[in-house]
Amino acid sequence: MSDPSEHKPESQRPMLKVSNLTHKVSLETDTLTILQGVSLEINRGESVAIVGRSGSGKTTLLGLLAGLDTPSEGSVELDGSVISQLSEDDRAKLRSRRVGFVFQSFQLLPALTALENVMLPLELGGFDSPQAKARELLERVGLGERLYHTPRQLSGGEQQRVAIARAFASEPSILFADEPTGNLDNRTGADVSDLLMTLNREQGTTLVMVTHDEQLAARCSRHFNIEAGILTEPSTSEQSEAVN
Amino acid sequence: MAASKKLMSVKRDWRERDVRVVLSALVIAVATVATIALFASQLQRTLVSSASSFLAADRQLEAENGRPVPQAWMQEAEQRGLETARMVEFSTMVYGADNFQLVSVKAVNNEYPLRGQVEYQVGADAARQTVSHGPPPGEVWINPRLLRLLELGIGDSLEVGNHELTISGLLVREPDGGFNMSSLAPRVMMHVDDVEPTGVIKEGSRVEYVYLFAGEESALNDYYSWLQPQLEPSHEWEGVRDGETFSRSLERAERFLLLGGSLAVMLAAVAVAVASRQYALSQRDTVALLKTLGVSSKGIGRLYIRRLALWGIVGAIGGLLVALPLYWLMSSVLGDVLEQQIDYQLDPNALAPALLTALVSLFAFAYPPIRRLRNVPAMRVLRSQPGESGREAVPDLIIAAVAIFGLVWMYAREISLVLSLLGGLAFLLGTLGLLGWLLVSTLRKISGGGNAWRLALVGLYRHRRASLSQIAVFAMTLMLAATLILVRTSLLDDWQAQLPEDAPNHFLINISPQAVDEVDEFWSERGHPLEQLYPMVRGRLTELNGQPVKEAVTKEERVGALNRELNLTWMEELPEDNEVVAGEWFEEGQTDGVSIEAELAGKLGVSVGDELGFTIGSDKVTETVTSIRTVQWDSMKPNFYMAFPPGGGLEDMPATWITAFFLPADMKGELNDFSRRFPTVSVLEIDHVIERIQAIVRQVTQAIEAILALILAAALVVMAAVVSATMQDRQREGALLRTLGGRQSLLVRSTMLEFALLGFFAGILGVVAAEGAVWALQFRMFEGEFRWHWQAVLPIPLLSALVLALFGRWQLKPVLSVSPMLLLRRLE
Repeated sequence: MSDPSEHKPESQRPMLKVSNLTHKVSLETDTLTILQGVSLEINRGESVAIVGRSGSGKTTLLGLLAGLDTPSEGSVELDGSVISQLSEDDRAKLRSRRVGFVFQSFQLLPALTALENVMLPLELGGFDSPQAKARELLERVGLGERLYHTPRQLSGGEQQRVAIARAFASEPSILFADEPTGNLDNRTGADVSDLLMTLNREQGTTLVMVTHDEQLAARCSRHFNIEAGILTEPSTSEQSEAVN
Repeated sequence: MAASKKLMSVKRDWRERDVRVVLSALVIAVATVATIALFASQLQRTLVSSASSFLAADRQLEAENGRPVPQAWMQEAEQRGLETARMVEFSTMVYGADNFQLVSVKAVNNEYPLRGQVEYQVGADAARQTVSHGPPPGEVWINPRLLRLLELGIGDSLEVGNHELTISGLLVREPDGGFNMSSLAPRVMMHVDDVEPTGVIKEGSRVEYVYLFAGEESALNDYYSWLQPQLEPSHEWEGVRDGETFSRSLERAERFLLLGGSLAVMLAAVAVAVASRQYALSQRDTVALLKTLGVSSKGIGRLYIRRLALWGIVGAIGGLLVALPLYWLMSSVLGDVLEQQIDYQLDPNALAPALLTALVSLFAFAYPPIRRLRNVPAMRVLRSQPGESGREAVPDLIIAAVAIFGLVWMYAREISLVLSLLGGLAFLLGTLGLLGWLLVSTLRKISGGGNAWRLALVGLYRHRRASLSQIAVFAMTLMLAATLILVRTSLLDDWQAQLPEDAPNHFLINISPQAVDEVDEFWSERGHPLEQLYPMVRGRLTELNGQPVKEAVTKEERVGALNRELNLTWMEELPEDNEVVAGEWFEEGQTDGVSIEAELAGKLGVSVGDELGFTIGSDKVTETVTSIRTVQWDSMKPNFYMAFPPGGGLEDMPATWITAFFLPADMKGELNDFSRRFPTVSVLEIDHVIERIQAIVRQVTQAIEAILALILAAALVVMAAVVSATMQDRQREGALLRTLGGRQSLLVRSTMLEFALLGFFAGILGVVAAEGAVWALQFRMFEGEFRWHWQAVLPIPLLSALVLALFGRWQLKPVLSVSPMLLLRRLE
């Protein structure tokens, strides 16, 4: 691996660098602009929340940042690679090594057990002894007794814990979370977000999370607002005010 | 690559409902096609061997040139592991104490017969014995009539040429006696070693050497390939297929099995298609997730291809595990019916179509949507994306159609069959398109309400896409099943008509003109009047357009009919089952002309207007061909190559009369009376031949019913698979309706009604399409006449409505048994 940015000290190298990102969707009659001129930089190890209402464009932004989709204009640089210029397959390759996901609707494969779901990224990434590692992670998220249960036999909170274990399994350098507590009640949501933040801190992962949950956003080191496709970052004082 | 390999696991896949449906469909596909194909090949072998006894062997080689075949030919056959026997047939005078008589001799060796048995008795009132040999050297078994004609008894001597033999039995029937009117002289059966001492066979004698062969079909065919280049025109190689008597029944049975197998192939393909397509479409979310986890498009493609291949193998093995016991079961039932030893054989030619059907349909149907899975955007994990539009399914449909018909063609090699079924399906899909339009435009106007009928109709409209595709599959399935039911019915009717219970089973031959009225009276008094008597004159065809016929016809075309005397007749009316294919039948009062049998005319190259010359005794008769007609040789009625008009060329020739009539088994005793009163009339008993054919027809009928049952079971499973494809959506809807306050009874009634309507529409379509396919098949494959099967038009749609209503009820079960909340959560 020869990453030019490896020569720089890690703290100086942004994990994610987005410049002038615009995304448009063609409808039958006209074109809809979903994101307009978004630029941001996220450093290694930072946790970032992007807050906005439904339809503000935050999920689209997350998809573009993670390389699940390509923007109409602008560029996304993830850990030194300009992913907006990569092919779909190259982006997939990059994701398998460096990116983890947590989704609002969990996205566990219904036919697989909890253990198998967590093993999935380990198997795909060619890790050694995936089963032992998956078991360890499930124990870490408190599901050591539920290894062989399928998603249908688990509650929403438990499913999201499995999803979190899966997300951290391949030790990604960046984790994207899409409304991770959106489908959970307050109490369970709080437990899940505790877990997410703890693991994130332990593994030193960069976290990018979209949410409309102000409390969850407050636990991140930085946060952005998005409204009608335009991203703004409140000043530090505003951010601390929001936390209080 | 490694990634896709790591995700391969039958255990994991098995937990997915859609995978289980695909695997079940594969197992059913392989099981049905393999069972039918194995059983059909078994039945074919069994029928051939049960029919073989008509030749007393599996094959016969006849040398009509009066010379034995080279010894090396027989040695070669034995080296190839074939059983052989030989016999010599000739006509000669035999002498008793005071009388003499022209007889037809059959001299057999120790091995005769290779198939079937000889029946004889040691006195007119003695019990009949069935044995697997002919008389030993020094003895003869003779026709009972000859005993009377010569005024001899059992134990007396019979002089054949220079040799004296002892009459030790009365010949009741010979396995290869069949139905051969060309030798009307009474039969004498002797040992072949006694032929030489008689001294009757000299250079130029009219004698026929016949060689019998039995053994494995492949060994027989190999031997024939070796033998064929050495055969001369006067050598004739005969198999059961060429035997006239019942080749048609056999052929039709085989065709039915072929049709059954082809329909099984199609049904199996449909089952696999529905299941695998459903699976492919359900994989979109999984693919999106795998993509976010970093699997490339190529990796996705490889993963699914490997999965399909894995299931193909698992399904094929599962299918064979089901098929083999079924095949053994059906075959042993067949063996019991036939009272015959069954040799179980896993014919690879029968297994290949099953495996190919499963794999081809799996890939042809599942691959196109799976290939498109590669294009599923990873973004789908974050936000649901539109599914496939109908447009993408059009090329799939074309690939599917090509695959199905390729398979049927490969299985049946019968283009008319493929086209008939294709026509039926095209009609079906066309009508369905129209129905779809009607559904959308009429049902749209109905608004919902608390009434079950309304809810059902609204349901049909709201699910119109699923409904139409379900109707398509149901109708297709029903069409295939109905086709088989209809063909079976008309096939059985046709057989029954061909050989009714009272089909003529005895022939009276050699009735002198003076005795005709008395003979008629004899049987009328006993309640069995003779239907139709035909005059018969023996004569040879000697000239064609003024030229000697043997010169006019090239050597290769020389046919048996030229080497022997033909039975000529005159008749006024064309027999019912004959058909004039060229020229005109005799007009009333017409006295000139001759009508010739079509096949012989073809071999001789004779057409209407040609002049035929006959030698009858010392007389010559010349007539112009005025018509060519086909003859049903297997009709068990007197049939003739040449027919003259009454008052025509044969009128003054010495004629005897012939007739056929039905005599029930309990009146066989009357034959003894008859023979005493009319000692010169030959009685030809063909009741055993008829019984045999009827037995074969019964066996085949049973086999047909078994295959039909199997196909219907497969059809039911296909329908269940289709219903279960939309089960989840419907359950969710049902749960929602209940949550919103729908009463259980309303839900049940409207769902059952909706499915019943689906079933009814599909049933009507299926039956009409089946009628069309049967119409085409009847013409091309079964040569029968087509008629509408009104009796099937209503029951099939009603039955399918009922079955589907029950399916609908069945899939509602979980909706009714648990709380709506629990169900909604489960279906999340």
